[in-house]
Amino acid sequence: MSSSTSNFNTESNSSMSVSPRKIYFKILLAFVIGTGCSMGLIRGFTYIMDASGDNFLGRVLESRAALKKIVKEEHDLVMFFGSSMTGAGFAPRQFDQSMQERNIDIKSFNYGFGGLNPFFQDIFSRRIREEFQQNNRRLELAILEFNPFQTTITRHKRAKSLEDSFEVLLASNEEIKNITLDDPTRGVRLLTIKHLRDGVSAEMITGFLGSEFSIPRSRTEIPEDEELEKKFNEIGELLNEAFAKEYPNYVNSQWSYDWQGGGTIPQERSDETLKLFEEYYRLQNQNNHRYDDDRLSRINSADIIELNFSEGLVEAYIRLIKNFQQFSNKVEVVLLPRNTKWITNSPEGLKRLNATIKRIEDATGITMKNHQDLSVMKPTMFRDTTHLNRYQGSVAYTNYIVEQYADYLKNAD
Amino acid sequence: MLFNTPIFYFFFLIFIMFYGFVFLKHKPKIYFTLVSSLVFYGVWNYKFIPLLVGSAIADYFIAQAISNATTQSRKKQFLTLSVLMNLGILALFKYADFALESVADFLLLFGYNANVPTLSWVLPVGISFYTFQSLSYTIDVYRGDMKARKGLVEFTTALAFFPQLVAGPILRARQILPQFHKMPIPTWDMAKTGFLLITIGLFKKTIADLLAAPAMTAFDGTAVSLIETWTGVLAFAGQIYGDFSGYSDMAIGIALLLGFKIPLNFRLPYFARSPVDFWRRWHISLSTWLRDYLYIPLGGKNSRLRNIFITMLIGGLWHGAAWTFVVWGAFHGFIITATHYLSQMPALAGFVNSKSKILTFIKWMITFYLILLGWVLFRATSIDSAWEIFVNMHSLSGLPLPGLHATTIFILCVSALLIMHLMDSFVIHKGEKFQNKKWIFWPVLVFIFSLCLLIGEPSNEFIYFQF
Repeated sequence: MSSSTSNFNTESNSSMSVSPRKIYFKILLAFVIGTGCSMGLIRGFTYIMDASGDNFLGRVLESRAALKKIVKEEHDLVMFFGSSMTGAGFAPRQFDQSMQERNIDIKSFNYGFGGLNPFFQDIFSRRIREEFQQNNRRLELAILEFNPFQTTITRHKRAKSLEDSFEVLLASNEEIKNITLDDPTRGVRLLTIKHLRDGVSAEMITGFLGSEFSIPRSRTEIPEDEELEKKFNEIGELLNEAFAKEYPNYVNSQWSYDWQGGGTIPQERSDETLKLFEEYYRLQNQNNHRYDDDRLSRINSADIIELNFSEGLVEAYIRLIKNFQQFSNKVEVVLLPRNTKWITNSPEGLKRLNATIKRIEDATGITMKNHQDLSVMKPTMFRDTTHLNRYQGSVAYTNYIVEQYADYLKNAD
Repeated sequence: MLFNTPIFYFFFLIFIMFYGFVFLKHKPKIYFTLVSSLVFYGVWNYKFIPLLVGSAIADYFIAQAISNATTQSRKKQFLTLSVLMNLGILALFKYADFALESVADFLLLFGYNANVPTLSWVLPVGISFYTFQSLSYTIDVYRGDMKARKGLVEFTTALAFFPQLVAGPILRARQILPQFHKMPIPTWDMAKTGFLLITIGLFKKTIADLLAAPAMTAFDGTAVSLIETWTGVLAFAGQIYGDFSGYSDMAIGIALLLGFKIPLNFRLPYFARSPVDFWRRWHISLSTWLRDYLYIPLGGKNSRLRNIFITMLIGGLWHGAAWTFVVWGAFHGFIITATHYLSQMPALAGFVNSKSKILTFIKWMITFYLILLGWVLFRATSIDSAWEIFVNMHSLSGLPLPGLHATTIFILCVSALLIMHLMDSFVIHKGEKFQNKKWIFWPVLVFIFSLCLLIGEPSNEFIYFQF
């Protein structure tokens, strides 16, 4: 508007006759009403889109709420903490049953969540630590997953748009207060997201809507077998029906506590359902189209082959281990099994992985356990290129964990 | 504290409550504005407040000394002191490392590996703007264009006035000091214009942030196709325009809400029809400063081409301490002098002076193309990298057919560039009429403001803050 401003006569002052208070009152009113209307429109938009902090981090927030019950448990406690690979690969109730068969009285929890890189995991682990320390409880055993491809620069960059929203949802009031004192600009921004935007930042909305305009990733050239896909989906439907029949009282919100953050276990399923699962996995393993496309997706979204690590995320991961060390009798850091048929690191990637492992070990004094290539795990036990399937992969890996830690837990105080 | 951050919103809300309802008399208002401006600056880094206040105090007293000096040589001595002080501060904080590194690179050419230490000092935000502004005051007093003002606090407040402190526009003392003497009260029309400019500025900044990613694609060193390179260069042209003119609009708008009038800084620069025309439309406060305080003292139209070239070279260096900025300035110096030279050739005079639509369009196209080439130099991390982008922009070898995604992004970037200019054009030509239609005006403002709150890109600060 530049013409009107340039046309102003800077020496004149036509408004002198107007009451200053009146004009500033009008300005203030326009300022506040305008912003209020805009905030209202934003809230309306996010409401229509069903976008809220609770929706984005639903299970994480549920599991945070469940901590209050967990710390009241009479049993010794075990927690497996990590990414969605942990979520898929560890069955806490199967673990507990196996331990009970060995007269070990413990209760375990699966705290594995997709979408949380170490930056967010570090903040979340502080909440867990606080809850345990406030209640004077300790974990008997904490098993922490180190997920290399969650720690890459690519992954870090992709999560940038979520950073403020997730931080607001996971950080404590004290932490936000400290951020505000240290960096008022960022602090006020976080407070605004928390109190005025329901945890939904503009960056998060843009990241979501703008994903349509991101560079399309490579797609697999392996043709899709439609017949195979059809059969696979049909069995999937049957499995859903079987679940509804066998778990009629399932309540989703009890997932994080009653279900201990894990899924169903074979001991509870009918023979018929288990057979269906066998067929389901058999068909799944034939679907090279899906596996290859998933591999390309992981390369694009997580740099899974080359593993260029993000300095910030590696540091966050070190902090995460140190958080757990403060309220756990034993902390183990593991690399979860990998689907070697589809994912193999490049020599450079492997070098970077080994260097990062060494760095984490040096910083924490913990020797990492590499479970990537366990002989008990087979490529057929994966539902995609990274996640174990439930009734083969998760079962086998949980059994392996039982074998590894039974002695320790038996002899623990 | 950036204008597009929530903290500024709360800062301004509190500021205007006290400014409009508590501090009604001149002196308290001035003091309150000064303290608030220093808080605004201090939120970024309070350690540089003494530098800002110190240079204001020094220039205030130097101007008094110039005014009181009885001989011309004495006046000149004081002016030299002001010039040395202001440029010295700039040199120390902004150019010292660049100079030291350049010396080391130069010695390396002769095989001498000099281990030159660097200062690595933090560049105080807005230093290039406020030193130029302060300098203009002492020069004006020396020339007799204005009298030295009484009132140190008034002068310091004018220099530190938060709407224009960190990224301009670069105000002349004679433009702003009389306003601080009066502490004007805004009219409702001024306030409406202010709100309009703030909203449009914020919208342009939002678009600029969205353009950052496609711009990065062309400049981050990855090999890209012809269309992606052009998309990136166009996106950067949009990004820097939206970013800087958006900030300027917000600064002017905020000042208007307080009753202060700041002249325009951009006037549809990408509609320019010659390089000379471009500099009459782009960062007007800097180009007129350079004209009045550098080009004219150098001799102006006497040895015109040389003086233009030197002025543009220094203008380039003002933007940043890197050889790419020097070359960018030299490039603009070259195309401006070439325009002047060619326009004097009888064979081309017809083309240059023609008002025909086709020829005007051709002139616009050539100008825009040259400006884009300039932005490559401005944005590239090195001369080599700029050269690579030039090659990518013009290389047809192995040209793949642009895919749907690349074409879509190209169209979006061009549209963004166009929308920003059309919006500005609308505001310039129809803004006053528009702001009187209150049933359309306010809803449109709220809608645009809502869009700005809805869209956000992480970690995109104002580009011109680094200058």
